[in-house]
Amino acid sequence: MRLPRPAGFQGPLTLLAGVSLLVYALWPWLPLPGRPHPPRTIVFYGFSILGEALDQAVLPTFERGWHARTGERVTVVTAFAGSGTITNQLIMGVPADLALVSLELDAERLAAAGVVAPGSWRRLPNAGVVNRTPFILLVRPGNPKGIRDFTDLGRPGVRVVHPDPMTSGGALWGVLAEYGSGFRRGGPEAGFQTLLGVWRNVVAQAASARAARTQFENGFGDVLVTYEQEALADSGSGAGAGTGKPGAGGWEIVYPPSTVQSEHTLVVVDRNVEPGERELVDALVRFLWSDEAQRLFVQHGFRSVSPELNDNPAFGRIDDPFLVRDFGGWDRVRREIVDGIWKEKVMTQVGR
Amino acid sequence: MTGGMIGGTRRGTTALPVGALVLVLLPLILMPIAAVFVFALKGGMKEFLAALTAEEAQFALRFSLMIAFLTAAVNAVLGTFAAYVLSKYRFPGRRPLAILVNLPVALPTVVVGTSLLLLWGPIGLLGSMLDPLGLQPMFMPVGVLLAHLFVTFPYMLGAVKPLLDELEATYEEAAYTIGASRWQTFRWVILPALRGGLFSGTLLTFAHSLGEFGATVMVSGNLRLRTQTAPLYIFAQFEAGNLAQANAVAAVLAVLSFAIFFVLLRYSGTPGAQNRKATF
Amino acid sequence: MSIVLDGLVKRYGGLTVVNRVSLEVEEGEMFVLLGASGSGKSTVLRLVAGLIEPDGGSILLRGRDVTRLTPQERGIGFVFQNYSIFRHMSVAENVEFGLKIRKIPSAERARRREELLDQVGLGGLGLRYAHQLSGGQLQRVALARALAYEPSVLLLDEPFGALDVKIRGQLRRTLKELQERLGVTAVLVTHDQEEAFELADRVGLMDRGQLLETGKPETLYSRPRTLFGATFVGSGTVLVGRAREGHVHLGALALPIPAEVEHEENERVRVLIRPEQVLLAPESGGDEDENEEIPSPLGTASGEIVEQSFLGALRRVRVKLPSIPGTRQVSPAVFGEEAFLIDAVIPAEIEVPGTRVRVGLKGWHILAPPRPRLLFSDIGREGSAGAFPLGERLVEDLDAMPALLAVGNDTEQVEALKSALPERAVALGLADAEPRVRRGDPAEEIAAEQIQSLYDFVVLAPGKTQEEEVLETLLKRLSTSLLLLRGAHPSLSRFLICTRVGEQGKDDVRVGGWLARRLGAEVTLLHVAREPGAPPRWVTSHLAGGVSTLKALEVPSRWHIREARTPVEGIVAEAKEGGYDLVVLGRRSPKGTVSRDEDVALKLLKSLDASLLIVPAEE
Repeated sequence: MRLPRPAGFQGPLTLLAGVSLLVYALWPWLPLPGRPHPPRTIVFYGFSILGEALDQAVLPTFERGWHARTGERVTVVTAFAGSGTITNQLIMGVPADLALVSLELDAERLAAAGVVAPGSWRRLPNAGVVNRTPFILLVRPGNPKGIRDFTDLGRPGVRVVHPDPMTSGGALWGVLAEYGSGFRRGGPEAGFQTLLGVWRNVVAQAASARAARTQFENGFGDVLVTYEQEALADSGSGAGAGTGKPGAGGWEIVYPPSTVQSEHTLVVVDRNVEPGERELVDALVRFLWSDEAQRLFVQHGFRSVSPELNDNPAFGRIDDPFLVRDFGGWDRVRREIVDGIWKEKVMTQVGR
Repeated sequence: MTGGMIGGTRRGTTALPVGALVLVLLPLILMPIAAVFVFALKGGMKEFLAALTAEEAQFALRFSLMIAFLTAAVNAVLGTFAAYVLSKYRFPGRRPLAILVNLPVALPTVVVGTSLLLLWGPIGLLGSMLDPLGLQPMFMPVGVLLAHLFVTFPYMLGAVKPLLDELEATYEEAAYTIGASRWQTFRWVILPALRGGLFSGTLLTFAHSLGEFGATVMVSGNLRLRTQTAPLYIFAQFEAGNLAQANAVAAVLAVLSFAIFFVLLRYSGTPGAQNRKATF
Repeated sequence: MSIVLDGLVKRYGGLTVVNRVSLEVEEGEMFVLLGASGSGKSTVLRLVAGLIEPDGGSILLRGRDVTRLTPQERGIGFVFQNYSIFRHMSVAENVEFGLKIRKIPSAERARRREELLDQVGLGGLGLRYAHQLSGGQLQRVALARALAYEPSVLLLDEPFGALDVKIRGQLRRTLKELQERLGVTAVLVTHDQEEAFELADRVGLMDRGQLLETGKPETLYSRPRTLFGATFVGSGTVLVGRAREGHVHLGALALPIPAEVEHEENERVRVLIRPEQVLLAPESGGDEDENEEIPSPLGTASGEIVEQSFLGALRRVRVKLPSIPGTRQVSPAVFGEEAFLIDAVIPAEIEVPGTRVRVGLKGWHILAPPRPRLLFSDIGREGSAGAFPLGERLVEDLDAMPALLAVGNDTEQVEALKSALPERAVALGLADAEPRVRRGDPAEEIAAEQIQSLYDFVVLAPGKTQEEEVLETLLKRLSTSLLLLRGAHPSLSRFLICTRVGEQGKDDVRVGGWLARRLGAEVTLLHVAREPGAPPRWVTSHLAGGVSTLKALEVPSRWHIREARTPVEGIVAEAKEGGYDLVVLGRRSPKGTVSRDEDVALKLLKSLDASLLIVPAEE
């Protein structure tokens, strides 16, 4: 039966445009002859500041090395967000094989939710810590507010940009850095006063350390509490730091006399690793602690877990660096400092 | 008094509200859109093209388009079916149902994303049953499609149902008496009468899917080269401070939206007229 | 027969929109359903087309039962008032649509399409679209489209309703020509009497869901059976007089009633006078000779012209006549006017000078007696439904107009009854009954309802002993016949009329006989004698008179005299022996205290299973 054809589209031009868009959208998936098979993939979730180091240096190097060794092309698919966000996504079930979180606490949360086996990351090299970076202060060109230490952040009129401890692992490091620097100078009361001073002056909280940096770059605040790596990374082009220059905006890094070195933990989400992917995932895990990868991290502003590799000339001197284990590990820090002091005392006094 | 004088007075009085409107619209709508293009082209055409041809940007654009095509195709069928049932059948609960299917417009898209996660996610109501079977719609392209189907469902309905409501039952009845089966009647009588609505509804659905953010960010897992749509890419790049990358894709999305709205305006009068929701 | 409709019923909610419509349309006939909007005529058409499903009855098309078939399976052509031309198809594609569905080869389709487009006068317009055509042209396309696949019947729903008067005329001629040439059976629905008359071979007149009468246009116009037919079709004057000795008496005027017209002595009779049957002559100031010029065999009356209107070829003149005692005007409806208004039409060129004229009649028509009205009632105090096992049958056989009354105690109950009544009417088999709800004492309210609306019968379905008080009061108060339906008999076919001797007894026989004739029952007249021996002559002559009255009504009957100590004993014995379904009993005037007669009724109610009809005596 032939009946008049109802025209679904009006006008051949529109139709042409629609079809071209469709062809464009489907192009990579069209089964044309001569197309290579789609490569195997591993999914790698990382916390925000890892973006450039992994995407542009470490992972491509790994992919090239794997190809050179086995002749197989593989792709590591990545997603970056605040460490807390990534942890929540992992708990919701995103199909990640590997995740690099910004603090061990998030790994513990994953273990508690049954995503990974408890303590499984401690069996990895260096107890799962891939790299470090100290917490520093980033100030406007010329340091107009004359900031030298965390205590200066409590002065009236200083506007602080800080990531949100609810979603950002970096923010928790920040809290520890602020409290710890005071504590090491003058005991618990000095720690508390330093923390209170900083948080009185926080004017913006971003979901991740990276987002906080973007806020600061867009002109918010006088000082940003962040990772040294964040400060070293060149904001404009996204190319690796390692040049020793502060950000393209001319912001200056202020190294406090005493601050924490954050430690970033890798977890392998075994339940998402298909049997066929195991050797690939293991190879990537091993690669992350290889000197080659560690050097790439250093080039991108991270401090290596092997001290002899930390030759980035941009790294500044810190008189009294400390680690989370100096305060009894994240479990205790979380309980006593983050919850016990920051949340219950500082935030209630600040009125937030 | 002459007509010209009256015309003159008129011009004088219209200039004020028109000027005021433009003044309001300028910073509210026109300038932000212009800013996207200004920033996209700030580094020159070469940098713009480089940003646009980056693998991730290309993937995000293609993925967004593919999802938009699929969403438009599926909702063209589903929306028309829903409009037909709601318009032509009288059954108890018809009015609540008509409100329900329009709900996605009122629902914040983030809520849509959350609800989908709580249904299909690995810990969700249905997802927890599917998970052992190795089925996992969330954080996969199909999850993004589900979210977009949900969010854009009312647009097709809103474009088609008024036409069906206005199409007198006698056309259908005429076809029946002539001997046409239900399907033949739908295919040759009803569907052609709806083509304007189908066309604009499909375009609207497409456009909304292309720009969808809130629900997508929840259900996609935001995996680059896997489930990252163009708006997610823009957001991720913007958050990372890569304004050039973000703006290049944003400019492309804006151009696509303009094109779609131009076509809508060109072929179906005002897009607003097609955008009206089903009336109860 | 091309179309046979049998007892078609369609209800929407509690409302019966098509009420037992039965109709036969012959092959090639053009049948027009005429009625006002809301009369149910379009619903009948849609039922025939299969666009809606009937709640009862059957539809046969060319001998095939299509009642449960889909529209597609019926092979009909349907033309809608709004044309419903598919806008995205050309005229040619519209016409060919049915042929394509039927997979007719393209060449044959084209031939048929060209032929039809020529026939409807649209040759050469095949490539046009709906928006390029006028309303008249669109309806021509619809006609061609509906005829293309040679349907068994063509159904047209107000096809010209949306068109100009002039276009309508042209289209009617096209339709009539085409329908006659193709010999297709057609049913057309319209509210336009002129259209009906011009097109129809036969017209069916519909009002409130019922097909009141059918007939050729001429018959329907000149000899309608119903008041509705008389007033809806054409104009005219309807007067009500009394029937006496074969004549309708309108004051001094006595119009003979033709033998074939059913009427009851002393009953109301309605007379229709069409305007062209009225003769007018100028009044010349009491000069008797000149008045004789009117060739009216029935004498003349003097009246005053109150209105004249020019209708083209004719002139309509409305004349006011003085009122006539014992006579009432039904149509044209007048309000606050005791005088009669009679319409006449005369050739337009005749001018009527002055305002006073002499009015004569050259013809008239007597309408069939009105349909009997039945009041069914639930008499339980809680408004509980008595069963009316025979109610539906009775309504059908009597062609009666039923009403269903429920009585509640308080406002709340009344509201509940109001909402439940239509549904209960359906459950009782009285779906067409007009629902009535009253508040107060059941017996009093039944009587009040009867007085208000003048029913011919009040019908109850009482138990054996229940509601005795109610019945007692009713017997006292009612001035109309009370029918108590009881028992399991399938119909009322054997009557026992326990007639009183004398003048009063004539009413028993008359009412019982009227019912017997309509129900096709046979009748036994009973007289109970207290003493043995030959009955007195006045008894036998009363009984013989009764039998001959019944014979005139074509009711088979006999009489019987039975000896018993009391009337009740005699009646009970006779009723049981003879297996009667209905016992008819006369009673005295409703006034006064409980009399012996009423006792008889109540006693019979207790000792008999049969139904009872209690006839009041006319004083």
